[in-house]
Amino acid sequence: MKPVVELASVDKDYPLGKVTVKALRNVDLTFYRGEFTTVAGPSGSGKTTLLNLVGCIDVPTSGEVRVDGQLTSELGDRDLTRLRLEKLGFIFQAFNLIAALDLYQNVEFPLLLQGGMTRKERRTRVLEMIERVDLTPQLRQRPNELSGGQRQRVAIARALVTRPRIVLADEPTANLDSETGRTIIDLMKEINEDQETTFIFSTHDPMVIERAGRIVHLRDGQLVDEDTNSDSGDARGAP
Amino acid sequence: MNSINRFLIIVRIAARNLVQAPRRTLWLALAIAMVTALLVLFQGISEGTRGHLLRSATTLSAGHVNVSGFYKTTPTDVTPLIEDGARARRIVEENTTGAVQIVDRQRGFASLITAGATMQAGVAGVDIEDETILADVLQLAEESEYVDDGRQEVVGDIQGLSRPNTAVIFAGQARRLDARVGDTITLRTQTFRGQANTVDVTVVAVAQDIGLLSNFAIFVPSRVVLDLYDLSDQTTGALLIYLEDIDRSEEVMDTLRAAFLSEDYTLLEHQPEPFFAKFETVSGEDWTGQRLDLTTWEDEISFLTWIVTALDTIAFLLIGILAIIIAVGMMNTMWISVRERTPELGTVRAIGMTRTGVLLLFAVEAFLLGLAASLAGAALGTAVAAAITAAQIPIPSDAVRAILLNDIFVLVVGLKQVLGAVIAMTLVMGLAAFFPAWRASRMQPVEAIHR
Repeated sequence: MKPVVELASVDKDYPLGKVTVKALRNVDLTFYRGEFTTVAGPSGSGKTTLLNLVGCIDVPTSGEVRVDGQLTSELGDRDLTRLRLEKLGFIFQAFNLIAALDLYQNVEFPLLLQGGMTRKERRTRVLEMIERVDLTPQLRQRPNELSGGQRQRVAIARALVTRPRIVLADEPTANLDSETGRTIIDLMKEINEDQETTFIFSTHDPMVIERAGRIVHLRDGQLVDEDTNSDSGDARGAP
Repeated sequence: MNSINRFLIIVRIAARNLVQAPRRTLWLALAIAMVTALLVLFQGISEGTRGHLLRSATTLSAGHVNVSGFYKTTPTDVTPLIEDGARARRIVEENTTGAVQIVDRQRGFASLITAGATMQAGVAGVDIEDETILADVLQLAEESEYVDDGRQEVVGDIQGLSRPNTAVIFAGQARRLDARVGDTITLRTQTFRGQANTVDVTVVAVAQDIGLLSNFAIFVPSRVVLDLYDLSDQTTGALLIYLEDIDRSEEVMDTLRAAFLSEDYTLLEHQPEPFFAKFETVSGEDWTGQRLDLTTWEDEISFLTWIVTALDTIAFLLIGILAIIIAVGMMNTMWISVRERTPELGTVRAIGMTRTGVLLLFAVEAFLLGLAASLAGAALGTAVAAAITAAQIPIPSDAVRAILLNDIFVLVVGLKQVLGAVIAMTLVMGLAAFFPAWRASRMQPVEAIHR
């Protein structure tokens, strides 16, 4: 089993006025290639902080984070940006699509940032992703013309279009009804199985938790428990 | 291709941000457009004055390149002439490329006397058959412009200067002297030997004023100046060279200087001053005989270029102050924009946009607004300038007339002025946006995304 993300003795503190909030405390955790992992826990348990550190959009107060073998504390902003662009995909709770761009352009955006593809190659890849999330008829619609579920599917397509090693999803179903949420999770799972993409998502939605291959429990910034879900499984099988 | 698409996406996002805050964008665009229009108008005034100055000077007293002479029989007696005019002309003709016309001008200064008034003016002696440019440029005034009960038609003909003892004066002079076509004016001066001399000339035409300068010049046949100053036929006052390309003036002057030196002429050191301003210096120098002075049209009007410089300086200061105010507005708009779009910035940074990309995002926004608004402003300024010029609005104040060297408002706006204004304003807007954009680019993605 090949590790894709490793956290070693990670602490993350946030100053909040005169108080320091310890968002994560001494977390040691490894995520493996092809895993479909849920980081579960109540609000304020450190789920989002953990995802931010793995996603290289935040840095730990102490400890080490390795993403795809690279020690993030040793990378400068340019390299971290490159790492996010090439190795990571993000799915946000509030979808965070770019309002000025239509569906196609939102999905194409990371490929344009990445460069190195011809227009034709890019188009093929984008259309393939959009078809995968079943939004081909809405190709030229703007985010404000789409439903919540459709927007989240666009976000998934955008996160996956660069074929990242790891997809991070922060409460991906929080803003969706249960039926749509289920569909979204099914889609992510399908992609996980097809492409062996590692999925790490935070949630406290029991429906999502029960479909995860591995469940990491956080409480008060500490890793308190880990479960595997043999019924669910994931692309690499249970650890 | 990829970079173009990436850039187009950035342009699209920037344009969307402008459209999403229509009121803010509109007010700022309006302010930018107004300042740009003012900038264009100020430049139009400056360029109009400069052009008018050039036209006046090159019509009345100078060519694009000028060869003049000082002749001294004793170290203190200075006569402004070229002793052997024909030889000097031959050298000029043989060594000047791209000349449209080379003319001889006699130069003098005299009192103009009529029954009702006296005034001073420079007297230019011309051979009107040779002076085709002068004949083209001088527009004759309708009689009603200089006589209260005059006819609404042009009386006289500039070609009348081919007849002996004639003169062409300007409308302003005609009003002051109470003279009309057919009247006689007495020219009185002192010869270079110190004797008083007079010549009576008949007015054959009255030309439209060419600003302030035309108050101080009249045209007579060359013979009149020779007679007035008791000069030999071989002499000439100056050789005026008109070029196809005025920008070659400097080059042609240098070539001619070399040519005259090789023909054993002694030349005065080149000083960027008009010919007449050198009298005092030359009379204080200890030499006798002939020395030539070569100047360009710019040298000949250098005593007036302060006006254009002053206009430019005032315009620069005014526009500078306004531009600073607008720049503060732009900076403020950008701060608001950054604040409103912080989560989006966090998203694009998380996805993989570099700090430079974010910087570019805001720079493009400022650039788009600056460019569109300044283009509109420049178009407005150009239209207003054209309308003012076409309307031939008289300048009501003597002081302003003196400053602008013109009787009507003439604003000349060319591509250079328009491009200059648009580029300057766009650049100022871009610079104003830089700091907020830079701060936005330095935001940590995690802070931005969760704000």
